[in-house]
Amino acid sequence: MESRVLKPVLAVYVVLFILFLYGPFFVLGILSFQQGPEGGPQFPIIEWSTYWYRHIFGLTPPSRVAPLPLGESLFRSLTLAFMTMVTSTVLGVMSAQAFRKKFTGSGLVFYLIVLGMMVPGVLTGLGTSLLANNILGIERHWWSTAFVTHVVYTFPFAFLVMLAILNRFDGSVEEAAWSLGVSPWKTFRKVTFPLIFPGVLSAMLFAFTLSYDEFSRTLFASGRDQTLPLAIYGTFSVEIHPNVFAFGVLTTVFSFALLSVYAILMSLSVRRAKKIAMQEDIV
Amino acid sequence: MAEESAIFRLEGVTKTYGGVTALRDVSLSVSGNEYISLLGPSGSGKSTLLRVIAGFETPDRGRVFFNGRDITNIPAHERGIGFVFQNFALFPHLTVYDNVAFGLANGEKQVSRDEIDRRVREAIGLVGLAGMEGRGVHQISGGQKQRVALARTLVMAPSLVLLDEPLGALDANLRNRMRNELRSIRETLGVTFLHVTGSETEALAMGDRVVVLDRGRIAQFAKPDDVYAKPATPNVAHFLNRYNVFDGTLKDKTFTGPFGSLAVSATTPSDKSAYAVRYDRMQVEPDGSKGSGPAIPATFVASEYLGSSVMYFFETAEGKVIEVEHHLSLGAPKTYEPKSRYMLRWKPDDAIVFG
Amino acid sequence: MSVADTAPRPRKSNTWWLIAPGAIWMALFLVAPIALIVYVSFWTQTTFKIEPTLTLTSWKTFFGSDTYISSLFTTLRIWLIVLVTTFVIGYPTALFVGLFIKNKTLSTVLLVICVIPFWTSFLIRVLAWRPMLGKEGAINIILQKAGIISQPIEALLFTELSVIIGMTQIYVVFMVGPIAFMLGRIDPNIIEAARDLGAGFGRIFRKIIFPLSLPGVVVGAIFVSVMVLGEFATAAALSGRKVNLLGNIIVTQVGSLKWALASVVGVILTIVMGLVIAGFLRIVDLKREL
Repeated sequence: MESRVLKPVLAVYVVLFILFLYGPFFVLGILSFQQGPEGGPQFPIIEWSTYWYRHIFGLTPPSRVAPLPLGESLFRSLTLAFMTMVTSTVLGVMSAQAFRKKFTGSGLVFYLIVLGMMVPGVLTGLGTSLLANNILGIERHWWSTAFVTHVVYTFPFAFLVMLAILNRFDGSVEEAAWSLGVSPWKTFRKVTFPLIFPGVLSAMLFAFTLSYDEFSRTLFASGRDQTLPLAIYGTFSVEIHPNVFAFGVLTTVFSFALLSVYAILMSLSVRRAKKIAMQEDIV
Repeated sequence: MAEESAIFRLEGVTKTYGGVTALRDVSLSVSGNEYISLLGPSGSGKSTLLRVIAGFETPDRGRVFFNGRDITNIPAHERGIGFVFQNFALFPHLTVYDNVAFGLANGEKQVSRDEIDRRVREAIGLVGLAGMEGRGVHQISGGQKQRVALARTLVMAPSLVLLDEPLGALDANLRNRMRNELRSIRETLGVTFLHVTGSETEALAMGDRVVVLDRGRIAQFAKPDDVYAKPATPNVAHFLNRYNVFDGTLKDKTFTGPFGSLAVSATTPSDKSAYAVRYDRMQVEPDGSKGSGPAIPATFVASEYLGSSVMYFFETAEGKVIEVEHHLSLGAPKTYEPKSRYMLRWKPDDAIVFG
Repeated sequence: MSVADTAPRPRKSNTWWLIAPGAIWMALFLVAPIALIVYVSFWTQTTFKIEPTLTLTSWKTFFGSDTYISSLFTTLRIWLIVLVTTFVIGYPTALFVGLFIKNKTLSTVLLVICVIPFWTSFLIRVLAWRPMLGKEGAINIILQKAGIISQPIEALLFTELSVIIGMTQIYVVFMVGPIAFMLGRIDPNIIEAARDLGAGFGRIFRKIIFPLSLPGVVVGAIFVSVMVLGEFATAAALSGRKVNLLGNIIVTQVGSLKWALASVVGVILTIVMGLVIAGFLRIVDLKREL
């Protein structure tokens, strides 16, 4: 009885909640079309324009607003995310594969891995910087120290994804392959891997996006050359202009493009499975 | 049997899973070109035994020999022993052809493309799936799946094939048809089959010899008719699902059970005392009849028509269910009054006494 | 054949080869660096360099400075407030998604809608609050247009309030997810039975729904706590440097190469977080519940 009253109330509440989550984005999106270069990062919109988008790509005449230092940092971020993705996924698949058998110390190793996603970036960032700076005496770079902390952060995600996938994996197809005289390594390549591939894809997506957007670890561990989040952070301290908003819209679009590619790949494999299931019904 | 002719031999194999002993000191020797059924209830260790032979599990103690070679420490993929799974375990991402070709194409030994093709088509033909090569394994029926699994194993020309409840996932009709096919395929190829099953009819119908496993131990290893007529232990009699087994005590050639005390002439040595009478060796007589021989009073509960025979279910005063089988070749089925008392009588010679 | 001969060798296991790379990576680049923070916090810091001579100077500096002590309390205060706001704002949403929506697809869609913002840059999400909260920001404009206020509220941006609003929006989803998950697992028959016995919603909520969702609350609280305690970017972007969390101190100290003091703050942060997580785990035995 109460739920008849409560449910619509909660429904309205959830709409407000979603508004709370998305509100800032809409405002950001609107302001990214502010007139330039005089228009500031606030209302009212003087005149709708795509000035700040052209500004990002250097298509506007030079003005008092310096262009965002994006080109190189974008390249570094993508490269770093790619390196991290490959390493984390390989480590994740290997570790999850090991966890299919019980072994002594498995509980300890599990917590050791999962700790990587729990410890805040300031701590891993600081610790790795100390290690590089004061113990090893090496310079910090985005491709060395920052890369290492990124893997510490993303490997647990890849590991957990693969663990969930392999938990549901029926090992008898592997035993079948061994009984046919096929070595365990070849069995992994020819049977296990193709079957867990959707999971691997998810693990890769996780690792890539987490690394691409990673900020606090990178701030400490990356040294002189900036990645994309660092370049954005750099604009915080000085006056912000709508070009940062325009850039925010663009990165969001990029993330969604990535997500769409993933969604298409996944739905293709799901549809193939469905088609097979349907043919099974016919037979 | 001379040990040299044994295709595989187990010596004192013991396997424990976290404190639970699945296999205790199992020794077994099987010669070539034979169909062995391995019968046991669930939890008797029959699947474990198969997995130890295949190399999927390592025994805690004991050794496994295959073709005269000690293979205890050899990994599964180097053993050359075929394995057929209950759930088929086909490679879901490959076609029927590629499933069958998998072992030849990916094995350590190089096999030419032409030879693979010839052998794969031969194996697919053998199991009667010619024309299905290009199908995905999701596009075929359960019976066809098990044929693919069989062809995939047989194409490797193993001398021993382990079958883990291969017909368990099929419906009754198909199961009967596949029984005959399994037997004839095995005879054509002359390989040894070790077929694990929980079904006593399957075990007796298919095996040239039957191994009965009871709580991790081999209780009996004999020809089907011997197992059927002379079960070695009360539990074997029980698994066969053809005997009314009565508990009791054996002392000085006298068995005391729910039917009173009986003098017995011959006994089968066993660590447990029991008295077993086959379902079809019991006669139903009216209550209070004064026939000769042992008898037990029981109340009629229900009957079940089985085609060639009828099963009658009775219940004793202690609540034990007694089954009586009446073969229709011996006359028309009789009707009994539910909840009425009858006398169930048998000849002393038809009883097997353990103790 | 002797007894030793008949004992089968355990199968050569490749488990260690599979687990070693990951475990070693974590030991070298996670455990060792954190242990190093503890070690370096006792090093001797001079203006230009740092030496491995053990001393308590940096610890004394931390506890002798009002700025640092107050940053510790600011961190704890903001953590507690954000914990409460994420719980209060998130729970009704979780209740709706996890319990009131019977349609699986719809509840999945709602959860996905909640997660989508995470596919944009964290920093952009923080930055997006600036044009929202500013003096000429969206909220002030709306409130003025609606006639609720005549003068713009200036306290919205570059205050502790803006940091709390920003953090709540960013982290509330981590509260919603686990709670909705636990609520979704509640057997509807239990609630139905309680209703048949004449219990009102308030009573059912107190006696059944909330206790059953508690593990989700704890998991959500652990997520939010770990992230808020380690925060510095939101405070830097939305407080105009007025709010200094422990994380901000670490950033500044590392920026001026004061490694020892940064490490002291790091150790304190680690201890605080350890205590908080241990405290939450005492409320609910997660291993049993999940």
